[in-house]
Amino acid sequence: MLGQLILGVAMVALFHAAFSTYEHLSHLKALGRPETSLPSSIVLESLLALFLGIIGACVKAPALKEITWASEMKTRTIDDMDARMGFANFVTRGRVLGQDGKSGPLATAKS
Amino acid sequence: MMDVASALQRLANYRTKNSRASREIFESGVIVFRNDALHKLGDDSWQFLESLALAAVDVGRVDVAEACLKHLSAKFPESPRVQCLEGILKEATEDPEVALAFYQRLLEADPSSLAVWKRQISVLRRLGRTETAVDELSKLVDTFYTDVEAWLELADLYISLYQYTSALQALSHVLLLAPQNPFYVLQAAETAYTAEDIPLAIRFFLMTIDMIGDDEVSPPPTGITFELSAARLETDPRLATSSVLRQLAREVIETAQASQHGAESQASLIWLRR
Repeated sequence: MLGQLILGVAMVALFHAAFSTYEHLSHLKALGRPETSLPSSIVLESLLALFLGIIGACVKAPALKEITWASEMKTRTIDDMDARMGFANFVTRGRVLGQDGKSGPLATAKS
Repeated sequence: MMDVASALQRLANYRTKNSRASREIFESGVIVFRNDALHKLGDDSWQFLESLALAAVDVGRVDVAEACLKHLSAKFPESPRVQCLEGILKEATEDPEVALAFYQRLLEADPSSLAVWKRQISVLRRLGRTETAVDELSKLVDTFYTDVEAWLELADLYISLYQYTSALQALSHVLLLAPQNPFYVLQAAETAYTAEDIPLAIRFFLMTIDMIGDDEVSPPPTGITFELSAARLETDPRLATSSVLRQLAREVIETAQASQHGAESQASLIWLRR
């Protein structure tokens, strides 16, 4: 939330500096004066927008993820590692017990 | 009742980890079908159908598996993966000899089909023809060296035949191919302990403890066999050792049990004080 706010303020400041530059240059053109350097306030405003934008983007960054192998291995279980799905035997008790132990051919009237 | 989003999340989880949670996959799959959410999976929907078919065979719902297979063979007519699934259905419903003949035909058509070879070895093992299974599996790992699953199956086969040194050799290849995995190091450690090679077992246990970090509950349950091997090492007069190893083993067990409560954790702590 804070990051988005800071980033929004930075965007507004940048657009405002750009618009001010456009207005300043069209003012000079209307008066017929040659193009001098920009007023320092516009330069300062655009630098401020850059600074705020950097801070906003950093604050808005998503949470860091673990990259070590050890942290990845902590999420696994020994059953995952032992699964060996290519060689798995599919002729098991599941055929007679059913998917909840109650619905296969061995199910009796009172579960 | 779970909703579609959590069901899809759980299915994606099982897909990445390749775990065999058949009942959960079947239930999540039923929810997805009931809410007509198959299109939400997009490209993953075919893999979902395959894993649902396997889970359905595992829980005994062959009708669901056949429906999934029909969808898959309509989309992928001559695919080897679909043929493998067909073979698994044959294994579950018909005589094993029929399935073996089917796999033999497929292997004659395409001798390099890894999945079909693995299924053939699985059927041979189930029928009890262990010598043939060991021969075929050795040929498979000679051809496809980098297949960790095949080496693990070979180690498991040797362990079931009580040939622990051959199992250790197979596991050493596993450790070469998957060096970052503490579960396989733990399996090697326990196999070494069973094969009476205590110093090797201690080395592997120390490697496991090193890999999993020292301040959290370890997912691979390292403690008890480590304590046993440390105790054996102490009593062996030929090997000069200190009690540091035994201390470490006790610490590992105690940290693992500290986060759990109940009767089982108390039992291991009582056993420690024997």
